[in-house]
Amino acid sequence: MKHSIWLTVNGETYEREIDARTLLVHLLREQLGLTGTHVGCVVGECGACSVIVDGALVKSCLMLAVQADGCEVTTIEGLSTPGIPDTPGTLHPIQQAFIDRFALQCGFCTPGFVMAAHALLARHPDPTEEQIRQVLSSNLCMCTGYVQIVEAVKEAAARMRRGQGHRQGHQDELATKHTKDTEGSSTKKHQDQTTLP
Amino acid sequence: MEQGTRYIGRSVRSKEAPRHVTGRGRYVDDLALPRMLHACMLRSPYAHARIVAVDATGAAGLPGVKAVITPDEVKRLSRPFKPGRYAAGLRVPIPEYAGAIGKVRYVGEPVAIVAAESRARAEDALELIDVQYDALPAVVTTADAVAPSAPVLYEELGSNVAWQGHVSYGDVDAAFARADRIVRANLKIHRYSSTPLEPFACLAEATPERLTIWCNSQSPDVIYEALSEALGIDAVRVIVPDVGGGFGQKIHLIRKYAVLTALMAVKTGRPVKWIEDRSEHMMAGGHSCEQEFDVEAAVTADGEVLGLTIRDTDDVGGSVSTLTIHFTNKLNNLFNTYKVQHLRLEGRSVLTNKCPVVPNRGIGKPGMCFVWERTMDRVARELGLDPIEVRRRNLVPKEQFPYTTPNGNIHGSGDYQALLDRVLANVGYDEVRRRQQEQREAVARTLSGSRGAPDRARPTTTLLGIGVVIGIEPGGRNAARDMAIFPQSTQMPGAGGVEGATVKIEKNGSVVFTLGSPSCGQSHETTAAQIIADVLGVAPERVSAAGTFDTALSPWGISSSNSGNNFHLYDVGAVHGAAARLRDKVLTLAAHVLKADRESLRIEDGVVYGPAEMTFAELGKIAYGNQALLPPGFEPGLQATYYYSHPHADPLMLPDMQGRVRAQYTFSSAAHAAVVEVDTETGRVRVVRYAIVSDNGTLINPSVVDGQIYGSAAHGISVALGEGFVYDADGQLLTLTLLDYGKSTTLETPRIEVEHYPVPDPFTTLGQKAAGEGAAIPSPAAIASAVEDALAPFGVEVRRLPLSPERVWELINGGDSVGRALSGAPGRT
Repeated sequence: MKHSIWLTVNGETYEREIDARTLLVHLLREQLGLTGTHVGCVVGECGACSVIVDGALVKSCLMLAVQADGCEVTTIEGLSTPGIPDTPGTLHPIQQAFIDRFALQCGFCTPGFVMAAHALLARHPDPTEEQIRQVLSSNLCMCTGYVQIVEAVKEAAARMRRGQGHRQGHQDELATKHTKDTEGSSTKKHQDQTTLP
Repeated sequence: MEQGTRYIGRSVRSKEAPRHVTGRGRYVDDLALPRMLHACMLRSPYAHARIVAVDATGAAGLPGVKAVITPDEVKRLSRPFKPGRYAAGLRVPIPEYAGAIGKVRYVGEPVAIVAAESRARAEDALELIDVQYDALPAVVTTADAVAPSAPVLYEELGSNVAWQGHVSYGDVDAAFARADRIVRANLKIHRYSSTPLEPFACLAEATPERLTIWCNSQSPDVIYEALSEALGIDAVRVIVPDVGGGFGQKIHLIRKYAVLTALMAVKTGRPVKWIEDRSEHMMAGGHSCEQEFDVEAAVTADGEVLGLTIRDTDDVGGSVSTLTIHFTNKLNNLFNTYKVQHLRLEGRSVLTNKCPVVPNRGIGKPGMCFVWERTMDRVARELGLDPIEVRRRNLVPKEQFPYTTPNGNIHGSGDYQALLDRVLANVGYDEVRRRQQEQREAVARTLSGSRGAPDRARPTTTLLGIGVVIGIEPGGRNAARDMAIFPQSTQMPGAGGVEGATVKIEKNGSVVFTLGSPSCGQSHETTAAQIIADVLGVAPERVSAAGTFDTALSPWGISSSNSGNNFHLYDVGAVHGAAARLRDKVLTLAAHVLKADRESLRIEDGVVYGPAEMTFAELGKIAYGNQALLPPGFEPGLQATYYYSHPHADPLMLPDMQGRVRAQYTFSSAAHAAVVEVDTETGRVRVVRYAIVSDNGTLINPSVVDGQIYGSAAHGISVALGEGFVYDADGQLLTLTLLDYGKSTTLETPRIEVEHYPVPDPFTTLGQKAAGEGAAIPSPAAIASAVEDALAPFGVEVRRLPLSPERVWELINGGDSVGRALSGAPGRT
């Protein structure tokens, strides 16, 4: 049996006839073409399909599309205005920080982490590392060991508090700084100051 | 004229990241073709059974279902794979088809495939396929599998011991005769996987011109060969778009699904997409090998290891197609960082009714490193020596580089002592020891004070431990390595390595390049762009990848695989070579147009400076559009392709009579220090510090290399702490989800600390060495070492992984009574 639903995704309203068993993630990917939301497990463990529904972080593989009837959904595609060559568009500060801090490798988990970080920073604009690690434990990454993801979220929080995130020029400052770090020394060290118990 | 290094060595911003952070990566599942069908696999519910009959009429009749392919049809329409490159040593040719024929040998083995108008409809249809199985007893452990009465997986072999052999270097017997002491250990490492977040994915289309498959394969060569072998089609094109992680998982078993999906596309005449789900990947996507080692070390009284013998039993699961990969990969780090000259490695590959084994972040090398590092700790303990001093005594000294190992590997450069020095300093080794001593004394005081009233004053239950280990990360695959264990093979699998790259200046002056291999997220586009930018003299922003891997367009060869740490050797060499050729063309053309001496020209930011200036765009317009201005004999266009082979691949590219061979070509190294806290009540291990000092040779992009180290270390730590596959006694997999499997999240993963200590390789293009899976090799050993150190008051030995809370609790409670008293743990009676 088909159900008629309407919902707003990234500011656009859609009406669709769908099967009752259609998952929100499949509606987004297959019917709306929003393929930035990924499927890594379909059982709510990996977080690659994380989106925001009516302001709440949701794993879209655990929500039926009919449950999103009348809802407002934001996906990774809705966080920024898309760039074209030579003009990268306006990235969200979290997206920019993920680029600047090398917080991704294969990119498959990235949209989910960005959305989860988005939800985190909405609640905790100045999170501690422990808070970041606690909240982001909803998502899995097999590539990065999380170090640079946590750093990116810290960086994004700092920029958002300074109200600077959307500035494109910022990335260049950062790239320059990073370059200087590595100049002129055969050994480079980034050691977090963790204290022993 | 000279090339600068403005970009090599800098953390130049990622080329790939902008598309991924905006959700514009393109993975196979993001692609759709007109009239595309969706496929699902029917999989075996049994670990071991005969397939008596398959009736698909119910499924085929379901509206929306377009075709079902049963085992009979797989056998009729396709041919078996040739024994693969990973099955060296297979003594009887065993035909293996893409799907199960006649028998299933592991839970999840593909039996039939359905294609329908939607994925959901295809899943519905699976339930209507009626398969009659005749269940057979399953063998789940190697001990059961080798028993004389055990059910046999392959009747052709007559036994479940599918391969047995050895390699031996030096005079092992003489070394043992000279020894002051023989130190023995039985060690085990369990089944795990790298669980890439994107499971297997194939999209196949058969057109009159060719069979095209979009597939997230790490080794498109494997898919290319598989389709040709199985379907008899030469006109094959393999396209690898963005790949959501590989780590070895996507090298081998994925070929089965590529063939089945392609077969369905041929049968239906429509494009067919198949996307594996998570539980399918867990049960049938491939596991690393469970390995058991009986080790004997011949040592002197002062801790020098004179010789080592290892008997290695590999549980290779329910297929012969990757029979010896976990054995032969041990040739890559057989001597780790040590100068010992005498070693014998005996191996046997045992079939069991479990998932077949596949390459996986190090393949066998984490096991080999585990053997060495556990042995070093054991030697120290039995001789009453400091474990770090024992390692130091056995390390190859830096004066001996380039160092040739007894089995023929050439370690180009390194400074192992310095790695240990740095990691001890960074982790604050002496301070950790001091705190550990204080803690142990405090526990002892509490214990004596509470005598007679144990309930009132239970001693602290957290014990601190530190483990320091060292390991190597080999890089650059030699295709002939496996002949070392199978010299009688009549078909050479290839030798050394070959791979190309193309670099082109477009007529508008922008630079595009095509690599000869796929990427799975290791920033190959970024790294290649940096090299091209420096060699050509152009800003990296002007350089971009033309696309991802495509057999029809990429200059590929046997090394075109996202495995074996091939990128740093072959892709870097090829990109550098192609860019250098193109630079030469640019200078020749510019010198002619500017009427200048070539040697007087210099290039900066895409502009050639001489008596006048010319931009790449101006040169491009001439090269592609103005024959009148071209130098005589100049090949028009500004494009260059270069195929790279490692110039230092010999000696020993092919194995000699002693089985010596260059297993891989470069050898990064690293020292790891893990500090753990063990909760003696629950057995839970918390990693409180994890420090690495790594020599990856010349760093091209330090932040990219950092990411590779963080990620591979995190995986090895997670493996050591408990992630892994668990089967029940019937061969049913109990860990079908990532949570059951126990993958570490941000909470369990420590904040890994990295220091680079690069010693450039004298034989590679830029002095670079491998940087990929490296930290997954020593990290399981580091955690084992640290946990054993923490549990020293119990007198227990850590012999096997994983160190899950349950296992650690068992160790504590099986430990000696002094230790048990110390923790207040009840203990066994």
